[in-house]
Amino acid sequence: MATELPKTDVVIVGAGWTGLAAAKELADAGQRCVVIERGDWRHDATNFGAPEEHDELKYARRKEHMIDTPTKTLSFRNNSDQTALPMRRLGSFLPGKGLGGAGIHWNGQLWRPLPSDLQMRSHYAERYGESILDGMNVQDWGVTYDELEPHLDFFDRVCGTAGVAGNLNGETQEGGNPFEGPRSADYPNPPMKASPPLQMFRDTAAQMGYNPFHMPSANVTKAYENAYGAQLHPCTYCGFCERFGCGYFAKADPIICIYDVVKDHENFELRMNSQVLRVEKSADGKTATGVTYIDENGQEVFQPADTVCLNAYALWNVHLMLVSGLGTPYDPETGEGTVGRNYAYQTIAAASVFFDENVWSNPFMGAGALGMTIDDFNGDNFDHTDLGFVGGGYISANQTNGRPINYQPTPPDTPSWGAEWKQAVRESYLHHVGIVCHGSSVAVPENYLDLDPTYKDAYGQPLLRMTFDFPENDRKMSAYVLSKAEEIARNMDNVRAVGTVNRAAEGESYSVVPYQTTHNTGGAVIGTDPATSVVNRYGQMWDHHNVFVFGACLFPQNLGYNPTGPLMGLAYWTLDHMKNDYLQNPRPLMDA
Amino acid sequence: MKLARTAILAIASVSLGSAAIVQAQDQTEEPEMSELERRLDVDSVLFNATIKEEPDDDLLELGRLVAMGSSENGGSGMACITCHGVDGEGDGSGAFPRLDGQAGWYMYKQLQDYASGDRPNRVMSGIAQRLTEREREAVSAYYAAMPSGDLDTAHGSMDGTLLQWGGQLAAVGSAEKGIPACVNCHGAQGTGLPPSVPYLAGQYAGYMELQLELWTDGTRDNDAMDVMSTIAKKMTEEDMRAVSEYYARVSNPATDGAEAQAEYDMPAAE
Amino acid sequence: MPNFSRRAVLMQLGASGLAALTPGASLAQNRYADLDTQPWSFLDGNEARFLASMADVLIPEDDFPSASQAGVVDFIDLQLAGPYGKGAGLFLEGPFRDGAPEQGWQVDHTPATLIRTGIARLESGDTRLVDLDASEREDFVTRLSEGEDFDLGDVPATTLFDEIWSLVKEGYFSDPIYGGNKDYAGWRMVGFPGAHAYYADLVDKNAPFPAPPRGIAHVPGSSRSASTSRALTGSDADTQQEEG
Repeated sequence: MATELPKTDVVIVGAGWTGLAAAKELADAGQRCVVIERGDWRHDATNFGAPEEHDELKYARRKEHMIDTPTKTLSFRNNSDQTALPMRRLGSFLPGKGLGGAGIHWNGQLWRPLPSDLQMRSHYAERYGESILDGMNVQDWGVTYDELEPHLDFFDRVCGTAGVAGNLNGETQEGGNPFEGPRSADYPNPPMKASPPLQMFRDTAAQMGYNPFHMPSANVTKAYENAYGAQLHPCTYCGFCERFGCGYFAKADPIICIYDVVKDHENFELRMNSQVLRVEKSADGKTATGVTYIDENGQEVFQPADTVCLNAYALWNVHLMLVSGLGTPYDPETGEGTVGRNYAYQTIAAASVFFDENVWSNPFMGAGALGMTIDDFNGDNFDHTDLGFVGGGYISANQTNGRPINYQPTPPDTPSWGAEWKQAVRESYLHHVGIVCHGSSVAVPENYLDLDPTYKDAYGQPLLRMTFDFPENDRKMSAYVLSKAEEIARNMDNVRAVGTVNRAAEGESYSVVPYQTTHNTGGAVIGTDPATSVVNRYGQMWDHHNVFVFGACLFPQNLGYNPTGPLMGLAYWTLDHMKNDYLQNPRPLMDA
Repeated sequence: MKLARTAILAIASVSLGSAAIVQAQDQTEEPEMSELERRLDVDSVLFNATIKEEPDDDLLELGRLVAMGSSENGGSGMACITCHGVDGEGDGSGAFPRLDGQAGWYMYKQLQDYASGDRPNRVMSGIAQRLTEREREAVSAYYAAMPSGDLDTAHGSMDGTLLQWGGQLAAVGSAEKGIPACVNCHGAQGTGLPPSVPYLAGQYAGYMELQLELWTDGTRDNDAMDVMSTIAKKMTEEDMRAVSEYYARVSNPATDGAEAQAEYDMPAAE
Repeated sequence: MPNFSRRAVLMQLGASGLAALTPGASLAQNRYADLDTQPWSFLDGNEARFLASMADVLIPEDDFPSASQAGVVDFIDLQLAGPYGKGAGLFLEGPFRDGAPEQGWQVDHTPATLIRTGIARLESGDTRLVDLDASEREDFVTRLSEGEDFDLGDVPATTLFDEIWSLVKEGYFSDPIYGGNKDYAGWRMVGFPGAHAYYADLVDKNAPFPAPPRGIAHVPGSSRSASTSRALTGSDADTQQEEG
C-alpha cells in the first residue's frame, strides 16, 4: 500500500523543458508545484564542464545522459504482422533522463512551425483537394500560428535564439527565411558564424535561386539575459553539443534557463530519482487524483494533487496514459480510440559532400545549431501538384561536430573497413560537410503506440509497443527533397564527390538501430474533435479535465522542423490558459 | 564561391601586407636562440608559436630584437624586457603579466588590440602602435616559444578556505552564481587553449585580479563576444581574488622545457 | 604476475602478422609500457590474439599505427571487463526471439559473452586466425562481415562482426583514458584536436588547424595523455565510463 503524501496543487511528471516551464509559470501563479523526475540532479556548471564532458565514448557511444534501457525501453516492429521485440539497446532515438531531461543534450535547432503546418488538413484540402490526403490521418492542430506566436516569441527570449528574421510583422526581411510566419519581434541575438562549407552552401543555394539563411540557434551568440533574468554566455563552437551537456552556459537548456530561476521559489519542490508509475483516477474516472511513484528510497508513494501535468518524453507520456487507463487506447482495427494514435517520426536523408583539399571544414569546430538552411522545399512552400506526396523538409548544411568515433566520412564506393577505408577517412575528415534533409512525417492508421503483450520493464509494467514504418508518402517526399539537396551539393565548387543516404529509401524499412533523430511525435495529439485527439486545443485531456499534457506527443503529425520550438509554443499556450482561466474555475475548457 | 588555396598554417589568415622586414642585425646568435629553435621541434610549442606561419630563424631573431627594444620601429619605444623581463617573467606588481610560453596568437591579438585601442592601455597602446605588423608577430612568436616554468614567486599567505573556493570556481564554477568553470576554456590545468585562450596557471594573481576588474567594468572587452565580462560581472571581489590566487599557485608545465625535451627525444609519431 | 607481458602474447601473432609488434620504429612510438606488464582484465591469450589479428585487418598499419598498435586490444579488454561488457545499457529480459535486422540486438548475450562465445566457436577447429597469412585473414574477416559459412549457434556472425568492428573503431578513436588511441594515433590520423575545444575565433576561417591533440587527461606540454594507468588502476575512469 502506497504511503499517501500531503496534497499539492499541481504535480508535474518530468523535469525537462516543459516540466520546468510549467513549474515556473504555475509557481509564479501561486500554485504549489511538485516536480517528479526519474533521474539525477545535475547542473551545467558542476556536471557538464570541459574537458571531462568532451568524452565521446562516455556520452555519445555509451549514452550516459540518456534513458537507462534496462529499466525503461519499448518494443518495436515495422508492422502488425510482426512480433514486436524489445529495443534492447538505444539507437534510432535517445530520450533523456535527469534534471533538464533531453533538453540538456539537444542541439538547439530552434524552429517555429509554418502557419500552414498547424492547419495541415484544411490547408492542403483547400489548395489541392481533400483526396491528396487519402490514407492519412493528417489533421489540423486546432490552434493557429497567430495564437501561438506570442508564446513562440517568449520561448525565443527564454533561449536567446540567434538568427535572422525573415518575416517581421509581415514584412519580408533580407537574409532570413522568407517562408516563416510573421514574427512580432526580431531574434534576440545575431546569427551564428558560418564555417567555410556553410558559406559555400549559402552562395550556391542563392545562385540556384533558393533562399538560404542561418539556422535558428539556441546556441547563444552573445551574452544574454533571458526573459526570466537568467544569464547565457556565447557559444565557443566546441563541437560537443548533441548528446552532451554544455558547460559554457551557451546552449539554452532547461537547467540554466528555467530551473535556476525557480529552484528557490516557495511554491517549487523537485523530487529526483523518483519514477512515476501511474496517474490515479477518481472513483467516477472523470478526474485524476494524483500520481503514484517510487521515491528515491524505493518506496511506493502516492502524491495527491488537484492538477496533474504530464511532462515526460513524448513516448513516456503515452505510456503513462496507457498504463494508467487515461483516455481510450487506439485500436487500429476499428480506427477508434485516440491514445497511441498518430504516432509519427522524422524522415531523415542527407547528401554527403567531399571537398578537395582547398576547403577546410575542420568539422570539430561546430555547434549543434550551426547550419545554413533553405526552406524552399519544406511544408507547402512549394507546389505539390502532381508530386504524389504532401509535406517536405528543410535542407541544411550542418556542422555540428567532428567527434571521430562517429564522424568517419568516406566517399561513395569506399570499402567499409581496411586499408582503403582508413586512407579515405584520413583524406576526407577535414574536408567534408553533410547536407541534411530534415523531413516531415505524416500520420497513417498503421503507425501507432500501444502496450506490449509480452515484455515488461523493471517496474513490472508492460513495455510501450511501437508499430512504425515510413509511409509511402514520406518515402516519395524524402527522395524528392534529397534530390534537391544533391543538386545543390553537386553545384558547389571544390567538390570531388557526393554521397547520399536516405533512411526512408524505397525498399528499406525503418530501423531502430542507426541513430536518426530524437523527434518522436504523436500518440496523444491535440485537436478539436475528441474522436481524433486526446487533448483539446488547450492541451487538456478530453476525458479527465484536470490532466494537462505537454510535449511532442501532442503533434497530430510531424512537421519538417525540429520539435522543441513548436512544443514549447504549445506549452506556454497551455500554461497561459491554465493560469488565466482553468485554475480559477477548473472544468473542461472545451465541450466534447 | 571559389576558395583560394591557403598556405598558412595557423588560422589567423591575415595578409602580411607590406610590413617592413627587419633583417637580423649583426649580433652573434645567442645560445638561447638555438634553444628556442630546438623547442620548435615539439608540436605543441610550434603550434603555440605559430601566428601566421611557422616561425623561422629570422622571425625569432626579429622577435628577440623587438623584446630588447632594438628593432627598427619598436626600438624607438620601450623594450619589452624592461617590464616583462628578459625571460618574459613579468613581475608581481599586477601590471606586468608573464609572457613566457603564453599562447602566441593570443599575444599577437593583444598587440593588435592595444594598437587599435580595443584593449585600452596607455603604455601598451603607444608601444604596440610603433610596432610593425611583422614585429608584432615576431615578438609574440618569440615569447610563445619560451619555456614557461614555475616562477620563484613568494605567494603571500592566504586563507585556505578562500584558496579552496578559488580552486572550486576554477574546476566546476558555481551553479549558485551561474559561473561556468574556468577550465572549460582555459584548459584542464589552466594551461590555456592556444591559439585563442591564454594560460592562467602560474600567472600573477595581481594581474589576473586586475583583469577581472577591468572585464567587470567594461574597460576590457576584447575577447570573442565579450564572454569574460559576462562571467566577471557575476563574481564578487572575493571570488576574483580567490580564483586569481588559486591559479597563481598552480604549476604551469604547459611548454615546460623538460617535457619538451622528453618529447623531442621520442621518435616522430608518424 | 611479474612475467606477464601483453606484448609477448601478441608477439605470438607470428611473422605473417603484425610486423610492427616486433621492436621497431612503429612500436617505439607506443610508450605505454605500464599496460604491458598488467594482466588482461578479461581476455585470455587466444582471444587477445584473435582480436588483434582481426582488428589489424580492419585497421591495418600504414603511415599511422594499426588498431592493435594503437592499443585497441587493451581498450577492448577493459571495455569487456567493465560495465559495457557486462551489459550495461542493454535490456536483457526474455523471451529472446530471432528478430528482423531493424529490431537490433536480440541475442541473449552481453557483449562480453557474445565475443567470448563467438571467438570460441570460430576457433574451435584446427585453424587459428592468427596462423593465417595476411590475405587469408582478410578473406576470413570479409566472410565474417557477410555472415557466410559460419554456424556459431546463438551468435549470429554479423552481430559478432558488428560488435567487434564497433569496439575497434571506439578503441582507435576514443579518448586515450580508455586505453586505446595511444599517443593520439587515431586523432592525429584524422586531425581531431581532442577534448580541449574553443573555436569561437576560428570557425569561419578557411585554413588548416594543426593543433596537437589534447585529451581529457592530457599531460601539458607533451603529446600524450596520462591515460592507461588511469584506465587500469583508477576505478575512476573505469566506473565513470558507463553506469547506465
